[in-house]
Amino acid sequence: MNLVKIENLVKRYPMGKSQFTALRDINLQFEKGEFCGIIGPSGSGKTTLLNIIGSLDIPSEGSATVLGKKIEVLSHKEAARLRCRHMGFIFQTYNLLPVYTVFENVEFPLLIMGMSEKERKKKVLDALEWLGMTDKVDSRPAQLSGGESQRVAVARAIVKQPELVLADEPTANLDAENSYNILERMVKLNKELKTTFIFATHDEKVIGYLKRKIYLVDGQVAKDEVMH
Amino acid sequence: MLALKLAYRNIKGAGLRTWLNVAVLSLAYVLIIWHQGIFTGMLKHGSQAVIEDEIAGGQYWHKNYDPFDPLSYDESHGPIPAELTGLIEDKKATPILIRQAAIYPEGRVQTVLLKGIEPGQTILGIPSAGLEKEEDALPVLIGRRMARSTSLDIGDYLTIRWRDVKGTFDAVEGKIVEIMNTQVPTMDKRQLWVPLKELQKMVTLKDEATIIVVGQNVQGQRDISDWKFKDQRFLLTDINQVVRSKRISAGILYAILLFLAMLAIFDTQVLSIFKRRKEIGTLIALGMTRLQVIALFTLEGAMHGILAIGIGAIYGIPWIIFYSKTGMKIPQATEEYGFALAGRLYPSYSVGLVLGTVFIVMVTVTIVSFLPTRKISKMKPTEALKGKIS
Repeated sequence: MNLVKIENLVKRYPMGKSQFTALRDINLQFEKGEFCGIIGPSGSGKTTLLNIIGSLDIPSEGSATVLGKKIEVLSHKEAARLRCRHMGFIFQTYNLLPVYTVFENVEFPLLIMGMSEKERKKKVLDALEWLGMTDKVDSRPAQLSGGESQRVAVARAIVKQPELVLADEPTANLDAENSYNILERMVKLNKELKTTFIFATHDEKVIGYLKRKIYLVDGQVAKDEVMH
Repeated sequence: MLALKLAYRNIKGAGLRTWLNVAVLSLAYVLIIWHQGIFTGMLKHGSQAVIEDEIAGGQYWHKNYDPFDPLSYDESHGPIPAELTGLIEDKKATPILIRQAAIYPEGRVQTVLLKGIEPGQTILGIPSAGLEKEEDALPVLIGRRMARSTSLDIGDYLTIRWRDVKGTFDAVEGKIVEIMNTQVPTMDKRQLWVPLKELQKMVTLKDEATIIVVGQNVQGQRDISDWKFKDQRFLLTDINQVVRSKRISAGILYAILLFLAMLAIFDTQVLSIFKRRKEIGTLIALGMTRLQVIALFTLEGAMHGILAIGIGAIYGIPWIIFYSKTGMKIPQATEEYGFALAGRLYPSYSVGLVLGTVFIVMVTVTIVSFLPTRKISKMKPTEALKGKIS
């Protein structure tokens, strides 16, 4: 079954009196358990496509169906519920909540879901153990290195074991060692939890790990390559 | 509960800015409650003094009597109605005859009101029993203010000149037998209290009175022919109006105080939303609805009010208890206001006053906290994640 299905998708933005077309004629499908990436230079539309899949934006034309739900017809509340229960996000700049500890940051999505305290504690500690961050539970983001911050962000994204994780340039602010560290952990998560990972990247380090590469040029799919 | 928990974590993280806002807001709470308590105490105290010393349970006025028109006094007298003689005999009412007169303290003429009252009356809280003393002159009771302005003391003699009902001038020597300490200036200034029977004889108005004061426990009084009944509510109108006008001017002060506190909260909210736009985008990406994010930020702002209640209680309660027990010294000059104030004013507080103030401030804080958050409903999460405001 398709986790994500995109049909004839077009996305335009108003630019003064005219319109800028960020994506055009996108037709893609993603299956459960895929470890794939949308690759392209800056301005190619990778983040725009990722945002639409993540229900943070809606297409101008065409449709995007994620986990059986058409994104373009969802209300704000329905979209929030979809993200809350079924998706995890990893951002280039980590986007950790600065006044919360590591534990509280990872716990946050479970709080929104209304999980009990006991269950939350177990899941958070499990997630932090996965990412090797159990010794930093009481630290605040300002006390963490870049690699540690991104590991916490990954823990936050997978703590609820979502079907889909969307990662927008997750290694852009990391050095090589930390990048490989993070990617190895994500590959492991993908294998063990069967979580689908979709990256938006132009980092060669990430591209090397991808099992499917979708190249975007000027908002169109130029190539869709499955690695065996 | 989630929003409360998150809001508390967030404002705790804001540090000094939070506590400065909380300090200003707590000061607003405490000052408003304290100040309101002063006016309530003023009203309560003043009303109590007037009721005890002047109006008791109400007054029957002769139809011609107008306390604000001295020219009406000469015509303001009539026989005590039969319906009230029973009350007077049972000491549940007391008649008072009022006439104009003149005295000559230190050689200067001064117009005064001669007020005749039963020495044995117990309706009004003035020491009229002193008028029962056998003296070689007309026994006179005056107030402290009158004694000061005329330089009269107990045992002093004074010449009193008056006109009787036929218009004939006469004079008599009076002797100060008592100086009373009343908080009600209208019972004191320019007034001489003398035995009623003596005054009735002097002005040839036997068994007549100008006003009849009924006791506080006497109920159901109504107008009787030439006598109009004025109840407590009517007779306390002046005090109520004075306090009301003072409350209005104090209300302007409260509004300014609150405005300054709300300005601080509003600015904090605007700054917070601007600084945390990336965080707002993240919260939406993590699955919070826009409404939840708005509620979170609104609660953070409102939480300043909640914290201010706690902080205000810590220093406000001891302060208020101290003042309500020890009172505040009132300058002597306030006696000239014509208002019944004692040497010390005791503020009066009630649960209603505290809860009402807390409620009004909290509602205002919540509204002011909400106003800037409306921007969040229009924010595009994709722009917010990049740190942009749309």
